[in-house]
Amino acid sequence: MFSVLLILHGLAAVALLGALTHQTISVLWPARTRTGSFVSSLRSVPSTTYTNVIVILFVVTAVLGSIIYTEYRLSIRVTLQDYRMHIPEGAFELKEHVAAIALGLLPAYWYYWRPALAKEYATTRAIVTSLLAAIVWYNFLVGHIVNDIRGFGS
Amino acid sequence: MSIGRAFPVFGIAFAVIYIASVYFNLALLTYHPQLVRWGMLVEAPKQGPAMYWYGWLLTSALGAGAIAALSLALPVRPFDRVWSILVWVAPLAMIATIAYILRGYVLR
Repeated sequence: MFSVLLILHGLAAVALLGALTHQTISVLWPARTRTGSFVSSLRSVPSTTYTNVIVILFVVTAVLGSIIYTEYRLSIRVTLQDYRMHIPEGAFELKEHVAAIALGLLPAYWYYWRPALAKEYATTRAIVTSLLAAIVWYNFLVGHIVNDIRGFGS
Repeated sequence: MSIGRAFPVFGIAFAVIYIASVYFNLALLTYHPQLVRWGMLVEAPKQGPAMYWYGWLLTSALGAGAIAALSLALPVRPFDRVWSILVWVAPLAMIATIAYILRGYVLR
């Protein structure tokens, strides 16, 4: 069962990563005119429409992660400790903490993306979105690396 | 009055309370994964590890919820400007704090 949940967690994380990366690029590097090129299209996505989906994907990913986290503590962390792999173990410890901080930040993220606040809080919106994107990228990479160390289904 | 304006305060308070909960272990719940059993407040490991992460989340959510509710009593101006800065400064500072707390994993 944990393998199925791990795959679902990974798939949700990929979708979240894509949506949040698109939104971050469009808010940090918006296109003035759409030329039809790939980069121009990437920069000119309607970023406001991503917000609710990102919140839902983040919560789904976090809930799935919190379920499989028990298996990490019982089986995977022990392996990391046995092999004295302190850096991956510490990286995963940091992952759980930054994920928690990002979860607490979600309501504020949603609030600053409301159309009514579009111009007034553009800087805050850009920084909060970038911070969330950085956290999601970090968590995705660390989760992937730790999974590779232990090996799927082993 | 919009409840939404308390959301930035929730994010700020959540980050600070969460790191304090981790550092001082202020978990409201403990989970024993080997036994598949929950316990109230901080319990020592019984069989296998004890997990406090869920408890830290609950502590932070309740604490931040209370502070966010209280913040609605403050005037919108100038506090909305203050929250719009602290909402990213506080999480960044708390991430730096937890990275410092965990430095032993790298320096070992």
